[in-house]
Amino acid sequence: MKKKLVAAIMATAMVATMLTGCSSSGEQSTSKADVPTEPFGDTIKYDPSVEINNGEDISVELWEWGSDELFQQVIDGYTAIHPNVSIKLVNNPWEDYWTKLPLALDGENGPALFNVHNSYHENMINYMAPLDIPLEDLEADFTGVAAHVIDDKVYYIDYGMMTGSVYYNKEMWKEAGLTDDDIPKTWDEMREVAKKLTIKDGDKLIQAGLNFNDSFHQNYLLGLNYQLGETLFEEDGKTPKLNSDAMKQTMQMLIDMYKVDGVGSENFGEKDSDSFGQGQSAMVIQWGHYYNTLKTTWSNIDFGVFEIPTFDGNPYAYNRYNGESTFGVNKNAPEDQQAVAQDFVKYFLANDEAQIAFNLAMSTFPAKKSLADNEEILANPSLSVLSEHIDRYIWPGPMPSTMETSLKTAGQEIFFNGVDIDKALDDAQANAIRDMQSSTFVSVENLYEHAE
Amino acid sequence: MTNKAGKIIVNIVLLLLGIVTVYPFVWMVFSSFKENQEIMALEQSLLPQHFITENYINMNSRFDFLHFFTNSLFVAVTITVLVVYTSTICGYVLSKYRFRGRNLLFGFVLSTMMIPWCVTIIPRYSLIQTFGWMDSYKALIIPVMFSGFGIFNMRQNISAVPDEILEAARIDGANEFYIFHRIIFPMARNGIASIAIFQFLWAWEDYLWPYLVINTQEKQLLSVGLKMFSGQYSTDYGALFAATAISILPVLLIYLFFQKQFIAGIAASAVKG
Repeated sequence: MKKKLVAAIMATAMVATMLTGCSSSGEQSTSKADVPTEPFGDTIKYDPSVEINNGEDISVELWEWGSDELFQQVIDGYTAIHPNVSIKLVNNPWEDYWTKLPLALDGENGPALFNVHNSYHENMINYMAPLDIPLEDLEADFTGVAAHVIDDKVYYIDYGMMTGSVYYNKEMWKEAGLTDDDIPKTWDEMREVAKKLTIKDGDKLIQAGLNFNDSFHQNYLLGLNYQLGETLFEEDGKTPKLNSDAMKQTMQMLIDMYKVDGVGSENFGEKDSDSFGQGQSAMVIQWGHYYNTLKTTWSNIDFGVFEIPTFDGNPYAYNRYNGESTFGVNKNAPEDQQAVAQDFVKYFLANDEAQIAFNLAMSTFPAKKSLADNEEILANPSLSVLSEHIDRYIWPGPMPSTMETSLKTAGQEIFFNGVDIDKALDDAQANAIRDMQSSTFVSVENLYEHAE
Repeated sequence: MTNKAGKIIVNIVLLLLGIVTVYPFVWMVFSSFKENQEIMALEQSLLPQHFITENYINMNSRFDFLHFFTNSLFVAVTITVLVVYTSTICGYVLSKYRFRGRNLLFGFVLSTMMIPWCVTIIPRYSLIQTFGWMDSYKALIIPVMFSGFGIFNMRQNISAVPDEILEAARIDGANEFYIFHRIIFPMARNGIASIAIFQFLWAWEDYLWPYLVINTQEKQLLSVGLKMFSGQYSTDYGALFAATAISILPVLLIYLFFQKQFIAGIAASAVKG
């Protein structure tokens, strides 16, 4: 009897939840896009009057991870122009996308279009067809194209650039007696501000002025070297420089911040991003995606953003950036599907609305030059702080992950095991060299606009 | 006295282990009524400080829960029914029929259990592509219709059925079809229940294979849908916990109904040789 009762309750709960859930399922709407009739775009022009697939019905798949709505908007805009084209959106979980996609692309039935992330460049590039857009047109409209050229062909480019900025808790800032005039421009100023934001009860840390736990390798070590005029790779583009003087100087600064200034601790707030959201740390350096995380997960935090400080106000480059990539076209797809895919990429690149929507969704600074001063983009504080010096950020290329993991291990050895900086970084260097022996990676730091 | 003390200690240890096992599940259920910032807050509490039901109400705005749920239910039930039937019939043949190569055949069945499933993924994927079964439930159901574990379990279970009963049935004029369906099946119900629970659970929670072979959103299964809550940079924990809490109810229901047979079936297959 008891069992039946429990079962009945569980079944009722299940059905009730499913029915409640049902009520909102019908709300998914396809946006009604205005159908353009005139060619649009900057140098890359999209002419809506040109028929695709001779006006005959055709269906292609677009595989992606992330927000369905974002991709669906672009698809709706495109299919409104070409009603004979049907694009089926296939959403995937981020992690396993990279297992499924190569399997599918290896066969004949893979998607004609797929979302790309440059961290998987080596796995994907052999399945991609070059873009059917002249190189000079791409370069005229977008920054960072040169870094994607392979044998005079481009397979994908960046629609947006993501990098690190300083996020600060406005409430804590105010309580520490700081104003907008105190926004630091140099690391010395940053350390002073961090000291003011730090709260201690005796020796016990109550509030960290700055927290870099779990991200110091990505957000400081692999970036601040550029401020000191040091690249991450030797001139051959293959040999890492993880034990360079710049790396040592940056590591020493991080140690001093915690051990001398006492603005944080390796044992206080396991992850800087969570610690900031939990109201435990006053400042963190995070990449653009953190803006969206704060808006969704940590909506109770009143935060501000400012550009990463520099050592002397006149850096070789401010920081490293990484690109969010445009779609890939499957070279194994049937020719008619590839033609649609190429046309769709062109539409995406020429379409400012799509570019803005994608950049805002990812909190990336538009790679499309004409959008650098776009109002909607600059209304996002994580992007507006980058606008002044966006040409002073470097993309080293799709670095192997050992660059990050080796430095992370080095930092942990220093902070937790008291290993000497020189030894820890020498070990990181040796480890990275060993891991990269079979990699085809070649740095594109030499393509930096202000390269010396 | 010593016996009693021993029992109390064993019960206390079991209780503690039970709490350790169940606590994460209870925490997940309570967390499904919390906002994300409370789930990730520094100060944790089991009960929601700010009770919300939005994670359940808005479930379908993130993914088509009802569709995924019914798809999973259909696939899991179909696989379970097929595996129960094929395992019982194979177990019956391997247990009660004497023929040349029987042990070799049984050894072959056992050997299929020794191969790590991940090793077979790529050849299976290629086969499914060649057969043109991609994006169809055939790719999910047909490759798992026969289960080495199920056959092994049912062979052990059916061995316990006395041969005399079968002989008596044959003398009474029952044919093999009748004997299998009307005598073996009911007598092996404990083993069947345990296989059914295991198989349903495996089919219900299987993630990688359905993800690899199904592309159409409308055909996708719940286990894959749940994974969609984990994004590139962040995870919507509240919604994930709400969907997970609902998704495990069918498994709990099945276990609740077949609990007695499940335990008896596992015990029987463990001791009969």
